Amino acid sequence: MVATAPGRASRKSATPAPRRKAAPDSDGTVTVGRSKAGTFFANLAGIVFFVIMIFPVYWVINTAFKPGPEVLQFTPSFIPEHPTLDNFVSAFKAPLFKEDLLNGLIVTVLAVIGALVVGFMAALAIARFQFYGRKAIILVVLAVQLVPFLALLIPLFLMLQKANLTNSLIGVSITYLVLILPYTVWTLRGFIAAIPRELDEAALIDGCSRFQTFWRIILPLTGPGLVATSVYGFIQAWNEFIIINTLNSPQKQNLMAWLLQNQTNRGTAWGPLMAGAIITSIPVVIFFLMIQRNIAAGLTAGAVKG
Amino acid sequence: MYAVDSPTTRKSPAPPGGVAPHRGGGHKRRPRRRKGDLRTPWLLALPALIALAGLLGYPLYRMIILSFQNMRLRELLTGRTPPWVGFDQYTKVLTDPVFWTVVRRTVIFTVVSVVISVLLGLAVALLMRRVHRRVRLLMIIAMMFVWAMPQLVAAQIFKWMTDADFGVVNYLIDKLPFVSFKDHSWFLSPTQGWVVITALVVWAGVPFLAITLNAGLTQVPKELLEAATVDGATAWQALRNITLPILRPLIIIVTTLSVIWNFGLFTQPWVLRDSKVEQEYQTLATYAYTQAFGRSNYSLGSAISVITVLLMLGVMAFYIRQMFKIGEVD
Repeated sequence: MVATAPGRASRKSATPAPRRKAAPDSDGTVTVGRSKAGTFFANLAGIVFFVIMIFPVYWVINTAFKPGPEVLQFTPSFIPEHPTLDNFVSAFKAPLFKEDLLNGLIVTVLAVIGALVVGFMAALAIARFQFYGRKAIILVVLAVQLVPFLALLIPLFLMLQKANLTNSLIGVSITYLVLILPYTVWTLRGFIAAIPRELDEAALIDGCSRFQTFWRIILPLTGPGLVATSVYGFIQAWNEFIIINTLNSPQKQNLMAWLLQNQTNRGTAWGPLMAGAIITSIPVVIFFLMIQRNIAAGLTAGAVKG
Repeated sequence: MYAVDSPTTRKSPAPPGGVAPHRGGGHKRRPRRRKGDLRTPWLLALPALIALAGLLGYPLYRMIILSFQNMRLRELLTGRTPPWVGFDQYTKVLTDPVFWTVVRRTVIFTVVSVVISVLLGLAVALLMRRVHRRVRLLMIIAMMFVWAMPQLVAAQIFKWMTDADFGVVNYLIDKLPFVSFKDHSWFLSPTQGWVVITALVVWAGVPFLAITLNAGLTQVPKELLEAATVDGATAWQALRNITLPILRPLIIIVTTLSVIWNFGLFTQPWVLRDSKVEQEYQTLATYAYTQAFGRSNYSLGSAISVITVLLMLGVMAFYIRQMFKIGEVD
């Protein structure tokens, strides 16, 4: 597979071939100065890149399925010799795992729903209305996305402490809500702006009120955007561990913080820890793969115009 | 997934000057709606603004105030107003040689890691256009998994792989002729430790860069490249004089973002050093955190955070200006 010339396997040979000897790639790309040897080395480099990138992912899976003694072996086995699910079972049975799983879910879902409701309204305002101060709001939304949230942790901790909201799921939920809010507003703004304005104008002319226009036109059409945005918010909140680790005791933390505690607490049992890491990552990885194309869009969209 | 691909890029017919085509569209509305229209957007934005003001704006203000006080554990427990100390915290921080080594380390790490990540990301993006379809698919699959991996988990995997006794990295390097890496401890020497941290950050950062830049590459008109070939340009010339200039705005944006992210490095040293970050592994973020929560020196930590934000302000302003400049914000 390494040495196949680019043209041979490409099915789209029907595309009008450029007059150079260079065969079009499957998507009709033309690169300047192609040679057979160059293509071979490019493919080789691509495969080396693949191996290096995927290796840590492979290694966590490999470790998680090994029984205890096999994990701590001076000559590591590259495929588990005695594959087992023990590590997953012991992760599940480990103290606080189920509690922190539930806590994490509660905190994340509350934050995402809150951010979605609040963020959607703000996004509607900046995408659909021209008003004095609109640019200022956009500026604020863009700017706060860049403020390192960690820097604010000290005053936040003191504020929540005073309000008796430390060691509570509510305090963390509110914090996460604000953490994901700027991105939510920004992305939803893009989705709403993509809906042709003529649609709501037509609805208004046909006698819909502003609210009806929103309810019957904009909301249904932003459906996929809402899904993508909330999934991204979910990932953000689910992956967070510094804030919850600082504000709450281990009984009220999430799985990420649980992983950190378990790494440092007991001389690191790598098998169960890697199993726990897989369990914790699975929802994120699945969600991420679902909405991958969106994530970069909010940050860089429009930077390239063809 | 249907409408899920970048909605913002599709409204390209808008003139690039940043003038919204619908501006001044108000005249279409009936006049009696006008007054309501002025209030509605603010009412809609109000909850978000309150949330941002309450949990971002106010803490920001509190952080600045705190940095002029001396808040210790005693004040936290008694709830008393901490004493005002003026610029004492700042003098303390700025005259502390440790702080300056931390600043230097953070800056060096940011420069090195961003340069490597962006160059590698660009190389991978170009490579993706060159390789066979199936190889490209493999590359994308690997990058998706890496990109999706939570930072904490990624750091833990690297910690496990570089474990002195049972780590696979030592085992593999030991296999090379003439080197003995058995029981090699990667974090005894800060240089080597930082190599691991940088490798981790680059490994985790390349997917975003490569995939974004690769998407940008599809925008390079292939007629231009063809014309260059006909005129006898070498691949390098075509890259330098055609591809890179077109890609420039995108490269600037992703580089700025990488700088902002890597400058705030926290998770990786925190996890790799078992939540007890030694002096040699402190970055500005971990340093402020340790001062505040490790030593209950909340004011000192706040002063460090304020300085960190000030140091970043230029880069942030640059990013926002770029976003406005490319007409993304209109």
